[in-house]
Amino acid sequence: MDEYDEMFLTEDDYDQQFADELEVLAEMDFDPVAATKQSGFRKQKNTSFQGNNTAGDQHLRSQSQAAPAGSLGQTEGVSDMCDREDLEQLMANDPITPKAKRPRQDVAKKLFEVSQNDDITPPSSPEEFHPPPGTRPKLVPAVLDISGFEGILESPERVTTATQCHALKRPPPVGGYVSVTDHRGNRVYLRETDDLRGKAVDPSALRSSHDALGLLVVPIEVLREQVAERLHRQVVEESQRLTEQLNSLVDAEFGELEDGPGDEEEEGMSSRLWVDQFSPCQYTELLSDDFTNRCLLKWLKLWDQVVFGRERKPRPLSANRTQGNFNQANPKFKTKSQITEEILEADLDQYKRPKYKVALLSGPPGLGKTTLAHIIARHAGYNVVEINASDDRSAELFQKRIDTATQMKSVLGANEKPNCLIIDEIDGAPAAAINILLATLNRKDGQGVDSGADSGAEPLKKKKKKKESVLLRPIICICNDLYVPALRPLRQQAFLLNFPQTQPARLSQRLAEISRAQGMKVDTGTLMALCEKTDNDIRSCINTLQFLHSRGKRQLDILSEIFQLPRIKRKRVGEGLEEGLKEGGGAQRLQHILHLASSSGEYDKLTQGLYDNFLLMRVKDPSLGGVCDALDWLGFSDRLNQTMLQGQNFSLMRYMPFLPVAFHFLFAHMHVPRINYPSSQYEALTKTAASRNSLAAMLSDVPACIRTRISEISLSLDILSLLLDIICPKLRPVNPQLFSSREKQQLSDLIDTMISYNLSYRQDRTPEGQYVYVLEPRVEAVVCFPGLPPRRQLTYQAKQTISREMELERLRRAETLLLLRNPRRVHTHRHVLTSHDHHGLLYYTECPHYHFMNKIHVAAEVDFFGRVVIQRDVPSRYLLQVAMGTAVGNSEVWFRFNEGVSNAVRRNVYIRELL
Amino acid sequence: MSLWVDKYRPTSLGKLDYHKEQANQLKNMVQCGDFPHLLVYGPSGAGKKTRIMCLLRELYGAGVEKLRIEHQTITAPSKKKIEINTIASNYHLEVNPSDAGNSDRVIIQELIKTVAQSQQIQSSTQREFKVVLLTEVDRLTKDAQHALRRTMEKYMSTCRLILCCNSTSKVIGPIRSRCLAVRVPLPSSEEVCSVLSTVCRKEGLLLPAELAKRISEKSGRNLRKALLMCEACRVQQYPFSADQVIPETDWEVYLRETANAIVSQQSPQRLLEVRGRLYELLTHCIPPEVIMKGLVTELLGNCDGQLKAEVTHMAAHYEHRLQLGSKAIYHLEAFTARFMAMYKKFMEDGLDAMMF
Repeated sequence: MDEYDEMFLTEDDYDQQFADELEVLAEMDFDPVAATKQSGFRKQKNTSFQGNNTAGDQHLRSQSQAAPAGSLGQTEGVSDMCDREDLEQLMANDPITPKAKRPRQDVAKKLFEVSQNDDITPPSSPEEFHPPPGTRPKLVPAVLDISGFEGILESPERVTTATQCHALKRPPPVGGYVSVTDHRGNRVYLRETDDLRGKAVDPSALRSSHDALGLLVVPIEVLREQVAERLHRQVVEESQRLTEQLNSLVDAEFGELEDGPGDEEEEGMSSRLWVDQFSPCQYTELLSDDFTNRCLLKWLKLWDQVVFGRERKPRPLSANRTQGNFNQANPKFKTKSQITEEILEADLDQYKRPKYKVALLSGPPGLGKTTLAHIIARHAGYNVVEINASDDRSAELFQKRIDTATQMKSVLGANEKPNCLIIDEIDGAPAAAINILLATLNRKDGQGVDSGADSGAEPLKKKKKKKESVLLRPIICICNDLYVPALRPLRQQAFLLNFPQTQPARLSQRLAEISRAQGMKVDTGTLMALCEKTDNDIRSCINTLQFLHSRGKRQLDILSEIFQLPRIKRKRVGEGLEEGLKEGGGAQRLQHILHLASSSGEYDKLTQGLYDNFLLMRVKDPSLGGVCDALDWLGFSDRLNQTMLQGQNFSLMRYMPFLPVAFHFLFAHMHVPRINYPSSQYEALTKTAASRNSLAAMLSDVPACIRTRISEISLSLDILSLLLDIICPKLRPVNPQLFSSREKQQLSDLIDTMISYNLSYRQDRTPEGQYVYVLEPRVEAVVCFPGLPPRRQLTYQAKQTISREMELERLRRAETLLLLRNPRRVHTHRHVLTSHDHHGLLYYTECPHYHFMNKIHVAAEVDFFGRVVIQRDVPSRYLLQVAMGTAVGNSEVWFRFNEGVSNAVRRNVYIRELL
Repeated sequence: MSLWVDKYRPTSLGKLDYHKEQANQLKNMVQCGDFPHLLVYGPSGAGKKTRIMCLLRELYGAGVEKLRIEHQTITAPSKKKIEINTIASNYHLEVNPSDAGNSDRVIIQELIKTVAQSQQIQSSTQREFKVVLLTEVDRLTKDAQHALRRTMEKYMSTCRLILCCNSTSKVIGPIRSRCLAVRVPLPSSEEVCSVLSTVCRKEGLLLPAELAKRISEKSGRNLRKALLMCEACRVQQYPFSADQVIPETDWEVYLRETANAIVSQQSPQRLLEVRGRLYELLTHCIPPEVIMKGLVTELLGNCDGQLKAEVTHMAAHYEHRLQLGSKAIYHLEAFTARFMAMYKKFMEDGLDAMMF
């Protein structure tokens, strides 16, 4: 039933569940940043194009009119400032070869006016000026023309036709003038005007005349040219950058359709890892489980309100209601997804932050945890700040980095996004660092608020407040092993997301895409086998592919070929034999192998390789004598190693290379051996560490009285296996309410045992989408062996029941503990009942939460709806009874909770109602 | 506290179920006042820890049962921080120094010194010494054991040590000579049966004598295991029947299967399979000594008189090497290979003898 409901619900809630995702998809379709960028770029291109045109026009015009002092800056200023409409009009009206001069002159006048009203300023931003290189040579002479006199000399007739120029070849017919002679002896005449315009132009004219007199070391033309050059360079760079940006955006959009790198990029690409090259850049490209992705995204979206100040979109009401109904109807059983859902739907705290401030992603390596975190953070509009194991993670530095990442904001960059801190590989961090992280999470703004309330002016306190501000940015932590002891405190405060295995179908599909893009021929079966072999480790798969590609192997038809790694030293043993046979002497072979072994130096690796492979060789002896000898040799080398390391006695090192020699003489064979990479010891080591970790996790929370009886060894040898049998009793599949007293006793015993041995059931989701309860910590894996019949499991329903009952029991225990620790509440109850005649006044002062009053003190009582509560007169015998303590239930003592906002809370509650 | 093992654990020396004479001696020792350092040893599941806790209760009264877990951080001289959990009451401190791995010497030196140096406050009402309980002493490194020697003598006035281990063979002589050694042997089969039936009576269950007998045999007289098995039986089937299946620990089953695999075929391929199984056992936190012992026990069942002696001899040889070395798998496999060779030769010889 449950599952059906659930499924139904899931379908119902489709919109709601996927709301965030849809939102993001929508955003992606119209990503504001990208959109503005693109449009901005387009605009810019337009403007620059227009600017070019106008500049070209300007050039023509200024030549024809000999505009006296238009510097490049001015030109740009003009193109910048001039009314777009005018320009468009101009362009529309005016072809490049003008026929009618009038309108152009008008416009030019206008332009000139505009430019003169403005100061001679450089363009506000270099982006606005965008000349294609083709126009460049035209512009420079224009600049020179305008600034100097040569241009004017070169085009005298244009000067004459000018109506509004200041430097004239001949003395003007009307008005006063000044004659000026340049260094070449050319004379021009400057008209005298009291016009403001003229004054504005004056400085430049003066400057050019100064230059003419050689006051500047570098002639002004050269300087101008330099400036122009620089501006041009800037502009070119800027345009390149923008083009790149645009291209990258386009690439990202059409990343899927991209057909591999072009030939010209081949060189650059070969140095890049495929893992980076083909890493997803968008939410939709993620290979990891959709549910996980969605959860993380939702969690990150919870921060929107505090980070971006956006209100959360209210969910559709109907969905809410169905959910509510469902919960009400069936409040006892919550599926994992519902719990997660609830976490995500839960109210924000006082700072409008979500309840869990940290998301903790866990899962085996190579599934794309880091990629997911980065992509989701980027999509939610954050600037990603990453701390990983390569950084120094000492406590102080860690604190500093967290503070920088969460409290500061980049102001220099064009896009001022808030930061999102990603702490990668947190399981390797020292416990001190994790404690600091916890402290940051739990930091309350209490002091700050207080100081703000009483004296905001006090500088010292203010400083403190600044330092101790609350965490207002999301933090995502990533780890491989969730049960590392150092992470234990963090686990309880984090939004845990376990990374399930990538689905092999999806992974192999992506691999096929990649290999197609790289021009490799592969068949799906091989890829599936590759996925299986690597445990669906995306990174390892892609790396293997690249490795094979770079080796030049184009066909991957046989799986074994994929995993035939380059032969290790064992191969040399075989070769050594051949050589030895050629040479014909045992002594030479010995020397040869000895030389090989001692020159390789890595005896440990060598020994492991030998150990892993020697049984696969074709052993000659049927009586196993050789094998025994080989193992004795291995045992000897182990002891040697141990002695060497313990006693720091490295002179024994010289005996190490004899092990390969012995193996050589024992196992060498003519044919080429097939070598496997020695990994068994490493695998064993990691597995052992994992089981030890889960045992430690179990032991860590066991109460002291039991902890003293059990140790890790006794747990793994005796207890655990039988304990798992004991906690699987046969429970009737009925509601626990219907259990017989014996069964109830059994259930409570079971729960007691599980709690005292720190075991619990946690709901988990299998990759197939089913829900199962798994034992937490995962000690089942420590006890169970492959090949043995699986132990009896409880049914899903039974586990659910147990899990629920256990939670209740935990709550009950916590409550009793609280009462024990804070006995005042119980105490007051008892006291009031026994000392009724004290009118409770004494207790009023003692505990402000409870307002005990006798009936005598009560005025007309009003209930929640405002009706007067009719008080029954208490007969004296009642009082007597109460005073004697015989009829507690009949007493008229009531108490009232003095806090709270509504009368519903503050109404009087009679003791008898409580009993 | 609802496992039978925990629920019906005796808490005072008088209530102990077996080795009562020893309990009396311990009681006398407490009463006469000069309490020495103790070295309590014996196989697992014999009740060492129970006996020690009873002894402590005898020394200090019920207050010793208020236990708390403390997480301590100790800084080694090399500035390395070592974290260790201790279980303590007001009167005693329990540490498992081998938790700290190779740094156990630091634990011994620092932790015990700090405890030993502080005097008990009210020496009039209390004993004038505290007790430090060290568990798994046989897994201490030699360095740590040597560090312990001096500490034991120096702080004798304020501190007594109770060392708890499975075997004294790995405890160095100087320490053994400084302690009163108390061996807690396994209970006899009858004692196990009587404990089981007592517990079942208290639970209101009826335990057939045959089943009790079978459980005690199956558990190897390990009382902890026997009680757990009994409870697991109860979970599996009640009312009990005399011939019901007794649940076993998985690793024992696995080890038995491994031994069978060794006996059934002797070849390098089979050795390779066995290697995989041995790795499996090691990764499930089964100590190599236990594997060795279990393997030998299982294998001996398949051997003839002459061969038995040889196999035992070889096992002892490789077990010794196992202790000296660090990579258990080599030695376990070496033993397996040697056994295979010996067994194969024996069988072939037997066949030859049959032929002629």
